[in-house]
Amino acid sequence: MIYHIRHQTIVHYDALVQLARFNLRLRPAPWPGQWTSDYHLAVDPAPSSIESRPSAWPVHVARLEIDSLLHQIVIESSFRAGIQDSAPIEPQDDDPIIAAVAQAALEARDMGSAGPAQFLHASPRVPLLPQIGAWAGDLLASDRPIVGAALALARRIKGAFAYVSGATDAMTPVEDAFAARHGVCQDFAHVMVAALRWFGLPAAYVSGYLRTDPPPGMPRLVGADAMHAWVMLWCGPTRGWIGFDPTNGVIAGDGHVFVAMGRDYADVAPMDGLFVGGSGQNVKVMVDVMPEEEET
Amino acid sequence: MSMADTLPPDVTGWAEAYLARAPKGDLFAGAGQEMAGHWRTMLDRLSVQAQGDPAVLAGNVERQAVDLGLAFRLTGDQQERPWPLSPVPLLIGSREWTQIERGLTQRAQLLERVISDIYSTQSLVRTGKLPASVITGSPHYWRVMTGSPPPHGHFVHFYAADLARGPEGEWRVLADRVRTPVGVGYALENRLALSRATGDLLGALNVRRLAPFLNALRRGLAADCERSDPRIGLLSPGRFNQSYAEQAHLARYLGLLLVEGEDLIVSDGQLFVRTIQGLKRIDGLWRWMDSRFLDPLAFDGESRIGVPDLFDACVKGGLMLANWPGVGVIESRAMAAFLPQLAQEMLGADLILPNIATWWCGQSAERAHVADAMGELVVGSAFDRDVAGLTGTRFLPGSAMDEAQRTALLNAMARRPMDYVGQEVVRLSTTPAIVNGQMIPLPFTLRVFVARDELGQWRIMPGAFARLAAHGDIRAALMGEGDLSADMCVLDGKPVPQDGLSAVAAAPTIRRVGGMLPAKAADNLYWLGRYIERTEMTARVIRAIVGGSIEADLGPAVESSTMARLTGQLALWGATSGTAGTVGPLCAQALGDGSQPGSVRSLMTAVAGIGEGLRDRLAVDYWRLVRLPLPDFDGGATETLLEASSRMIERISALSGLAAENMGRTEGWRFHDMGRRMERAINGCRLAMLFGAEGASADDLTVLLDLNDSQISYRNRYLSGPALAPVRDLVALEPQNPRSIVYQAQRLAEHVAALPTLHTDGMPEEPQRLAAVLAAGLAPLTGDMLTMDDLRDTEIRLLGLSDAIGQRYFLQRRKEKSEGVSLLS
Repeated sequence: MIYHIRHQTIVHYDALVQLARFNLRLRPAPWPGQWTSDYHLAVDPAPSSIESRPSAWPVHVARLEIDSLLHQIVIESSFRAGIQDSAPIEPQDDDPIIAAVAQAALEARDMGSAGPAQFLHASPRVPLLPQIGAWAGDLLASDRPIVGAALALARRIKGAFAYVSGATDAMTPVEDAFAARHGVCQDFAHVMVAALRWFGLPAAYVSGYLRTDPPPGMPRLVGADAMHAWVMLWCGPTRGWIGFDPTNGVIAGDGHVFVAMGRDYADVAPMDGLFVGGSGQNVKVMVDVMPEEEET
Repeated sequence: MSMADTLPPDVTGWAEAYLARAPKGDLFAGAGQEMAGHWRTMLDRLSVQAQGDPAVLAGNVERQAVDLGLAFRLTGDQQERPWPLSPVPLLIGSREWTQIERGLTQRAQLLERVISDIYSTQSLVRTGKLPASVITGSPHYWRVMTGSPPPHGHFVHFYAADLARGPEGEWRVLADRVRTPVGVGYALENRLALSRATGDLLGALNVRRLAPFLNALRRGLAADCERSDPRIGLLSPGRFNQSYAEQAHLARYLGLLLVEGEDLIVSDGQLFVRTIQGLKRIDGLWRWMDSRFLDPLAFDGESRIGVPDLFDACVKGGLMLANWPGVGVIESRAMAAFLPQLAQEMLGADLILPNIATWWCGQSAERAHVADAMGELVVGSAFDRDVAGLTGTRFLPGSAMDEAQRTALLNAMARRPMDYVGQEVVRLSTTPAIVNGQMIPLPFTLRVFVARDELGQWRIMPGAFARLAAHGDIRAALMGEGDLSADMCVLDGKPVPQDGLSAVAAAPTIRRVGGMLPAKAADNLYWLGRYIERTEMTARVIRAIVGGSIEADLGPAVESSTMARLTGQLALWGATSGTAGTVGPLCAQALGDGSQPGSVRSLMTAVAGIGEGLRDRLAVDYWRLVRLPLPDFDGGATETLLEASSRMIERISALSGLAAENMGRTEGWRFHDMGRRMERAINGCRLAMLFGAEGASADDLTVLLDLNDSQISYRNRYLSGPALAPVRDLVALEPQNPRSIVYQAQRLAEHVAALPTLHTDGMPEEPQRLAAVLAAGLAPLTGDMLTMDDLRDTEIRLLGLSDAIGQRYFLQRRKEKSEGVSLLS
């Protein structure tokens, strides 16, 4: 599949602010099975500098500086992305069991940005919470095959949690979202990551996009009107990283466009930085993910 | 005749009485013949000095600690606590110490190499010698630092090890600390307090000195900076940090600039400090905050105490940052389990100073061992995080667990084995301490400090921060509730050479200026001056009310309108909640009611708060005066109010005297003095309008002279009683009267004229222009032509000048400052 992606963010501030220096994490980082081209970033007002920055994780970070005071900033990120055609990933009989994956993660000698050991432990926004571990415990017994178990967990989250946009925000702690059993894709992904790590499994948080309109005969996925978040689980050296989308209760497929992967939301936040002169703000986001053949 | 013959009988008994109760393995009781002799000498001399009463000795040392301003906070404390210092130092002989030095040097080398590997090639992981998870489990591991080595390859400049001494005299490392060297300043101050309290005792025992170590540390930091005469800052998390007092003391001792994040700015990859002379380059930082807080754009985005883009200054700008971000990865208990093998791998030797035996449960065999031997081990969190089965604690002896706890822990370990370690149980030997007037043995640990010198070689501080455990667990923080600290002395067989130029490789270049002034320090000094002056004037108003000059000169028939003006002014300043009620309770409120923002108590609290942020710049005497409690008084007895307000005025005079006689004539002094002049001039205008208006009564004028401390000057010039025009001239316009408004205006003009300018074209900056206009406007006036409009106009000009000073010299957007403005102007 080839997609054209256009993501526009308009942030309107009640009073003049100085954005000074901030990071954008909108450009897709390289990821196996996906290519991107024609990346374009437009920012209004124009920044005095844009540089790319090193990141610890599979994340592309752009650092922008804007000298002037502003009331509103418009950020538009667009690119083409191609996702390798392959059969959808499904649980298989010979998938490794959870205990074997956990053991392999401990033994892996990979310190790379996507090395499993990087995603084994509690991270700033995802503490390991016993209540989440207990809630997921029956699904993640050590002798269960990993892909099927993780898919069951994604489905359980979709079933038990209400998708309520606006009920939580980017700063909501995972324990609050879990207690309330509602939230948005970010909260669902955090809950799933916390559950998997509780059982010693390497789990990461992914940001990306969903195809806006589903293929004929398929249901429209939730989360397509904004940036989406899901989970990557390392399923052993053979299976590698597999995406699970707890918002939709599915394994990520060719409708999921990868942008960035980190330990939790904070590592992949689309925009963060220094704001001087804080005031109320109003954010409008428009996302378009169009398959290329439909455009022509 | 021996010394003992001349002593009262109970004086020689300390050593014997202690030995009778000391357990096996005690530092003194278990010492060899030579060291035991030193212990006896020391205890005898301490005993003589204290007249045989341990409580007297403890009191002497405690007084020195208070005088030094030693204090600390436990987590969660709002107020600082007095420093608990045991007056009996630990003595360690040079032979035992040499082994510790060798061991720590070796460990420092090892830690440096392990860290360097982790952040470069990761060969230890790739070859299976160090599991990846031992690194990634640490909350102090920052992968983003990979491939960005420090400018001179020195990840670690400063290292502290917590040591335990077992009953057989064997030394073990409890923990390695590379994030912040908390304790080194306290160790230094403990030594200072002890040596002041014990006369020449330490010299007589040939105790090794600490100063050469600190000088070496300073030179080591400088050697890694790019410029040859570098400017180095000590980066503090701020005055609410537990060890802020220690940081301020060290900065002053080492001649480093004490800075916080908001003092600093990174521009084009280089670090600068905001000073009153504009941005000045910083070559190096000794950081006292965790990596995660250093740069909100590179590490933790939530940090509010860091410096945006400090990361750039490190990896691109050649900034010397000690220690390098990410070094904390080697502090974990999990890492400790691997150090013995890594020493073999990387140094080809066994550890001279091993850590306590540790098993990381992320390995199957080790986990099995910990499960089997749990009863004899302590189970701990591998990365010092909260983990299941050890909730609320970071380690628990297996012997203290019941069956259910043990099962829960084993289940948790089965899920996430990498989060746990087993460690051998630590047994500590004891040392003499004085508790409640008794000398008793207490278990101890030592924090020993290691630093690089200018050649990059490791130096060990010949002393330590000793922690004596009152109870409970000694492995957690620097100090726990009820613990004592003590000095540790390394004894040489021969006299120790004095410090002097010989100890330093090259004598420093002579300098005469006080260094540059950060904008925030200028800000604080200015407001310190303003608050102190306001305190004085409030106390003067109180004194005038409760029976100063008015009664003495004019009898008890004080005009009620004058009194109403005085109490009204107190209310206007926020010293009282209103003017209703009798004079006694009103003045008691103005003096001591902390809920009134303008009361003397509140003002002095503000002074102490601002002063705390200036600890590295204020003399100890100044600081002590600022922190003295309010004098006692009773709202029902006006004579006590009179006495208390007079005491406060005297105290402020003492502060003025210290500032006048002891503060170097630096820019810092100018800001402090400008604060006082500004506040005095503003108050002068208001009081002159209040008590010197047309038709002012004799009482009004007398009060005005009194509040301006100008009664005697007036009498020297005029034989008659106070008359309007002469009084106005004296308090507002006479340039020779140091209390007059014009005098303040002239001093302000001089100060701002002497401050550095950012202009290169010779044109005056805004504060200079405004101050010159202000002084010039007042100069031609005399008392008979002065109008209320002139005073009002002067007051407005003063406020404008104060704003201009703030705009030009101070950091903007500061909360404390804006509160200060709302309270004072």
